[in-house]
Amino acid sequence: MDIIVAQSLLEPNAGLIFYKVIVFALLLFVLGKYAWKPIVNALSEREETIDASLRKAEQALEEARQTGAKNEEARREAEENARRVLQDARAAAERVRAEELEKTRARIRQMQEQAQAEIEREKERALEELRDEVAGLAIRTAEQILEETLDADRHRKMVDRFIEQLPRN
Amino acid sequence: MALIANIRYRQIVLLLAAGCVFFGPRLAHAADEKGELDAVAHTADGVYLDFAPFGAVELPRIFLRSDPWGLDVFPSTRSALLSERYVMEHEEDGHAEVLHGDALRDAIDHHEHLYAKPKPVQGTLVLDLSITRHLVFGVLAALIVVAIFLGLARRYRRPEDRVAAPRGIFQNMFEALVIFVRDEIAKPCVGPRYREFLPFLLTAFMFILCANLMGLAPYLGAATSNVAVTFTLAAFTFVAGQRKGTKAYWTHLFWPPGVPLPVKFILAPIELVSLIAKHFALALRLFANMMSGSLLILSLIGIIFTINVLFGSLAAALVAPVGVAFTLFITFIKIAVAFIHAFVFTLLSAIFFGMALEEEEHHEEETPAEEQPALAG
Repeated sequence: MDIIVAQSLLEPNAGLIFYKVIVFALLLFVLGKYAWKPIVNALSEREETIDASLRKAEQALEEARQTGAKNEEARREAEENARRVLQDARAAAERVRAEELEKTRARIRQMQEQAQAEIEREKERALEELRDEVAGLAIRTAEQILEETLDADRHRKMVDRFIEQLPRN
Repeated sequence: MALIANIRYRQIVLLLAAGCVFFGPRLAHAADEKGELDAVAHTADGVYLDFAPFGAVELPRIFLRSDPWGLDVFPSTRSALLSERYVMEHEEDGHAEVLHGDALRDAIDHHEHLYAKPKPVQGTLVLDLSITRHLVFGVLAALIVVAIFLGLARRYRRPEDRVAAPRGIFQNMFEALVIFVRDEIAKPCVGPRYREFLPFLLTAFMFILCANLMGLAPYLGAATSNVAVTFTLAAFTFVAGQRKGTKAYWTHLFWPPGVPLPVKFILAPIELVSLIAKHFALALRLFANMMSGSLLILSLIGIIFTINVLFGSLAAALVAPVGVAFTLFITFIKIAVAFIHAFVFTLLSAIFFGMALEEEEHHEEETPAEEQPALAG
């Protein structure tokens, strides 16, 4: 009996093969249609979603990085601008101040010159007056001294000559 | 920490309980009336389910006979024999004797009918379509796989669940298996067209794995330890692969390029034989590995009873712990083997599919294209 049974270990049972073909074909069909299709599709769908999410995140990060860089650049530019404006303003102010100073100086110089001229003129007139005064005074004095010796015309000539000989100032 | 300790404790208790359940029936079965262990009978297919020590359940017998043609269905072997339409022979001293009446009843009482090959009184037996133990296990494995993966498929019904992270042990565990088959077996071995073969590979892997693991369960057995089952699986692999064979593949097979004409006639049969041998080996590898594990465990347990008969009960009691320890060891190995051989079968199937899908790339001297289809057919 043992030999018979031992043979049965290696002897394919035709009936079992028949059933097994049916069972496995059914299994293939049922699982293929109702299990593997949804499962495998869902798995690849999920993988794609995860991949897409990762890519999107990477992209967003890259974008953020770019935006940051851009912002930084804009900030630097704005700073540069501000500095230039400030510099310009400072330069302009400096220029205005210098001009103002120059103008003021010029006016002062002008006023000085005018004043000098005025003084000169006044001095000239005063000298003139003084000369006249001195001439008259001298004449009168001389008249009083030389009342009778000299006529008036000779007197004048003498005094004038004297005055001519006087230093200018 | 308390939680971890608690879990470990519970796991150990569970393991011990499982061990008791696992070894209980085997040990009980081992001691049949004569005190002998029939490891082969237990490993081989049969027309009954063994629930020792609670007895055995006979499975329906279905016979296809000719002259006249007919399909005879009986609820059990016993009823087939008692109906007197089928008879069993008792072989003794070289001549067969058909049993009738009391002799038949006596044989049935000794469970001899379970191993006999009933013959029809009228006509000849064409095909024994009886439901066998391994068929029951195979169907059970198929049902378990269907239940698990239809359950898993239900998790993806809603679109928002499809992209959500997997939740829970169930989904994570079986998703990992599916992804393993897809990424470790189908993608690298089949190539870019792997999606066409993925359903087959997944089905084969899950079915074989489930059947293999069932071989470890009490009262059950591995359907894959039956040569008919593994041949069927290999035949499916063969058909699935050859069905999609490319022109380059068939050319390579029957009209090998780049060799002289006479050599082609020598090479073609060799290639054909090697193709069939590959699938034959696929079936035998799975069958032999699953069967040997079962035989080995029963033999190790059987040592105890053999020693009991040969050297008495004291020696048997001394050997028993060793036998049980070895059995435990082999059982752990069988768990690994269950996974490894599910993997190996699927991997080799995938490699064969990949070969069938080969494209022309490295052959410069090709025969004219017109000749190929005729030869390929």
